[in-house]
Amino acid sequence: MSEQTAVEAPVRGRSRRLLRSRLHRLDSRAAPYLYVSPFFVLFGAFGLFPLGYTAWVALTDRTLLDPSWSFVGLANFTALIHDSYFWNAVENTLGIFLISTIPQLAFALFLAYVLNTKLRARTFFRMFVLLPQVTSLVAVALIFTQLFSHDYGLVNYVLGLFGIPAVNWEAGRLSSWIALSVMVTWRWAGYNALIYLAAMQGIPDELYEAAAIDGAKPWKQFRHVTVPLLRPTIIFTVIVSTIGGLQLFTEPYLFEPLKQGATGGSARQYQTVVMYLYEKAFAGTQFDFGYAAAIGWALFLLIAVISLVNYLIVRRIRSAEA
Amino acid sequence: MATVAEHARLRGRRRPLSRKLGAAGPLTYVFLIVVAAASAFPLYWSLVVASHDNAAVAAYPPVLTPGNQLWHNLHRLFDSGEVNVDFWTALGNSAIVAFVVTASVVFFSALAGFAFAKLRFRGQKFLFVTVIATMLVPVQLGVIPLYIEMIHLGWTNHLMAVIAPNLASAFGVFLMRQYIAGSVPNELIDAATVDGCYTFGVFRHVIWPAVRPVAAVLGLLTFMTTWNDFFWPLVVLSPRNPTVQVAVSTLASGYVQDYALVLTGTFVSILPLLAVFLVLGRHIIGGIMRGAVKG
Amino acid sequence: MKTFLKTPRRRASSVAALLVVVGLVATAVVASTASGSRRDTITLRVGLFGDFGYHDLYTKYEATHPNIDIKEDIESYADHHANLAKHLAVGSGADDIESVEVGFIAQFKSQPNLFVNLKKLGAGSLQNQWLSWKWQQSIAPNGAQIGLGTDVGSLAICYRKDLFAKAGLPTSRAAVSKLWPTWQQYMAVGKRFEQRAPKNVHFFDSGSNVFNAIIGQLNPAYYDSHGKVIVGSNPKVKSAWNVTMQGVQAKESAGLAAFSNDWNTGYKKGTFATVTCPAWMMGYIQGQAPKTKGKWDIAAVPGGGGNWGGSFLTVPKQGAHTKEAYDLAKFLTSPASEAYIFKQTGNLPSQPKLLKSRAVLGFKNPFFSNAPVGQIFGSSAMKLKKQILGPHQGDIQTAVSNAIQRVEQHKQSPGASWKQFLKDVKSVA
Repeated sequence: MSEQTAVEAPVRGRSRRLLRSRLHRLDSRAAPYLYVSPFFVLFGAFGLFPLGYTAWVALTDRTLLDPSWSFVGLANFTALIHDSYFWNAVENTLGIFLISTIPQLAFALFLAYVLNTKLRARTFFRMFVLLPQVTSLVAVALIFTQLFSHDYGLVNYVLGLFGIPAVNWEAGRLSSWIALSVMVTWRWAGYNALIYLAAMQGIPDELYEAAAIDGAKPWKQFRHVTVPLLRPTIIFTVIVSTIGGLQLFTEPYLFEPLKQGATGGSARQYQTVVMYLYEKAFAGTQFDFGYAAAIGWALFLLIAVISLVNYLIVRRIRSAEA
Repeated sequence: MATVAEHARLRGRRRPLSRKLGAAGPLTYVFLIVVAAASAFPLYWSLVVASHDNAAVAAYPPVLTPGNQLWHNLHRLFDSGEVNVDFWTALGNSAIVAFVVTASVVFFSALAGFAFAKLRFRGQKFLFVTVIATMLVPVQLGVIPLYIEMIHLGWTNHLMAVIAPNLASAFGVFLMRQYIAGSVPNELIDAATVDGCYTFGVFRHVIWPAVRPVAAVLGLLTFMTTWNDFFWPLVVLSPRNPTVQVAVSTLASGYVQDYALVLTGTFVSILPLLAVFLVLGRHIIGGIMRGAVKG
Repeated sequence: MKTFLKTPRRRASSVAALLVVVGLVATAVVASTASGSRRDTITLRVGLFGDFGYHDLYTKYEATHPNIDIKEDIESYADHHANLAKHLAVGSGADDIESVEVGFIAQFKSQPNLFVNLKKLGAGSLQNQWLSWKWQQSIAPNGAQIGLGTDVGSLAICYRKDLFAKAGLPTSRAAVSKLWPTWQQYMAVGKRFEQRAPKNVHFFDSGSNVFNAIIGQLNPAYYDSHGKVIVGSNPKVKSAWNVTMQGVQAKESAGLAAFSNDWNTGYKKGTFATVTCPAWMMGYIQGQAPKTKGKWDIAAVPGGGGNWGGSFLTVPKQGAHTKEAYDLAKFLTSPASEAYIFKQTGNLPSQPKLLKSRAVLGFKNPFFSNAPVGQIFGSSAMKLKKQILGPHQGDIQTAVSNAIQRVEQHKQSPGASWKQFLKDVKSVA
């Protein structure tokens, strides 16, 4: 290579040069494909192929136990549309998503605002704020499930100190949603705050100075300068939270007292869509792959719609920047 | 790399005092200390429960300080005779999976990022848009066919089933491409080419040394994500050969529920990442904030 | 910049990084495909859904079989059976010996080709060890013997003497047994109990445990002899539901999901006074609340004898050491072993000779105020008959537990919950 200092016969040198230049041409043509191919091969094999295959499995009555299966057309989808448990799961998923995301992002915004002031021990606070993100979903779910347990949970104990009677968090619909939202919020608020913080630091000081000259107090500056300029970032976090929120599984799955069946409580009060998929495919004795694939496909459509919205928003941001 | 965030930070040093809230007041610190405490409390609580026997879980009023049973609980956890999971196997499995996936993601991302950022080839733009598009596809929704695929490959209950699908990452390719495009000068590559380097030589001698900072961040994030992954391992692995997350959840679904033991397992499962975080936390924060501005 | 390219250290480290990648991938492949050990010792894995009390027996067996190493896997009831079905279907992952509870035996019997026919290994000669209905329950439609019986769950009621005394009820087991010849009367006693019970203490733990016990006394219950699901049309199932609801609505239930952490804590704290007690429940109570020793006693179950639970040991065909696995299963279900387990955990043998033996009949359990548990459970076990079971017994049981809990948690009326239960049954069975 570069450090090689070959002293060779001119003729051999020329043929070598020819070979080398050919190799170089081959290299510059083929190498890029070679370098990007691992990603595409792996994604094709374990990402794209299963997604396409889902559509096919969803059209069959395939189960894990019975190797023979037959084509059933859209029967799984027709059943899904009339399946009240499916819609219940959709409702739960959206409900938990709403009450976890909106307060969480509002809090994250405020937290970012506070972190953006002149602070001592800045890194120290940032580390603490990010600590929950390092904690695995399983750990979050198990620790909070214990904190929220009915008879001996710390949460009910603290409420009791204020004379509030013990809440059976897991049993109620709204109460279970709240408990799960606390888990989601705890894990993600700090992460989103850091994202907002990064964006806030990109806001030019002149804007604040101009606002200050106009007599705007800090709160007004926050509302009229910070928030509007953060809008793209806010939209970004909303979409990322949506995609994550629609696939909520671990927290509600481990919130169940018996950790079995994945029904999300006795009245399915907190069963999410992915839990329902898991119940149909892996948790019972039916292993109904065809139906579960249909659920997966339905959820994919739901997310695809949001991805489309995502794309439109990204386009708008670009035009705003220009 | 001169990211927006870093620019902002540099500029921030010259900010006039009048801007924004100015210096933080005592209330701000009180607020932040409360937030920090709330962030740390659940982790502290898992240590409290893990260091008592199970009866303490039902104590009234609740026990709030660590006890002296941690060692005993750890012994119970790892002495596979007493609990329903082999925790050593679980930790080993998670380590293998996380290391292999991390190494592979970092390497292949750097390689593909290099090609997208600095080489010219037909379909380059289209392929890169495809990479970005795949980030929007929730791959785990293909879980049923992926499971069927694993049956055909004979990988169910094997670590390969959790390793193979994670070996490449669209986010990684994207991150690397942006970084390489923005921070490796073309002259450096030209110089290497003039010296007779093949493209892989350029990668080895120019790109790889230059991407180290971002490789470290990508590696850390990938390691965290892989270590914490739960849904797919739960589906495809058996509790006999689990990752640590599956093992902890199996612990929690044992016939006799013992919270002291469950939270001991939980605590142990967090510990490696906690250690990494304490040492390299500021890099992770930097990575997240950088990614935020770029993404 | 050339010097930069030439720096050998950089070069070496990037090569090293590459080697690490390759090495790790190779390690992973080897690690994940290497199967077991190639030593002479054979590791046998036993998959259970609770503590069967086998630990001492393993030690004993390993002592006489130096080439055998035994490992135990325990999962929750539902997880264990769901994972077993999964591992059988994909052809790997099952243990050498897998326990199957009676609620699931019909489901696995329908796939006899996935299990070793134990008759081919000589189990036929052991037939007379077991109660004949227990033996028959694990015979597949094609005649293959897929399991060896472990225990049976003949029924009684475990009750807290101290709480009964506080509520002004009799405490001796004979007098208590006389209080409730029927389940209606049991619920009536519950009403009396609630009126004078200490605060936050209920008469029974959970409606689903009562319901499961009543179902254990019915024949037919969920399935008729043609294998048809008759949950909705069997009047006896409906009346079991009604009597359970009667108790739940009179606030006699503590509403704790069986086997949940709150239920376990309930044992420790004494938040319920009675619990339907299949023989295997004794060991569970002792394990959960060792400090309540002496506060418990055991009375007869309302409504006559019945069976709830009990298991089989099976040998999946995919195992590498099916012969050795069978030998171990034979040992674990041998009369000597089952007698030993009974004394340790209370799990009742499924073998008539043992049930009639002095060792069982004479056994008194000190934890339960020296109740003659051998006599109480043994004699009723002898009268048990084969119950008709179907492939989705376990799913139906899960659905009904949820249905009862919905009422206990005031989320639905009994009528609405029953309707939803029938709908659930239709979708699973």
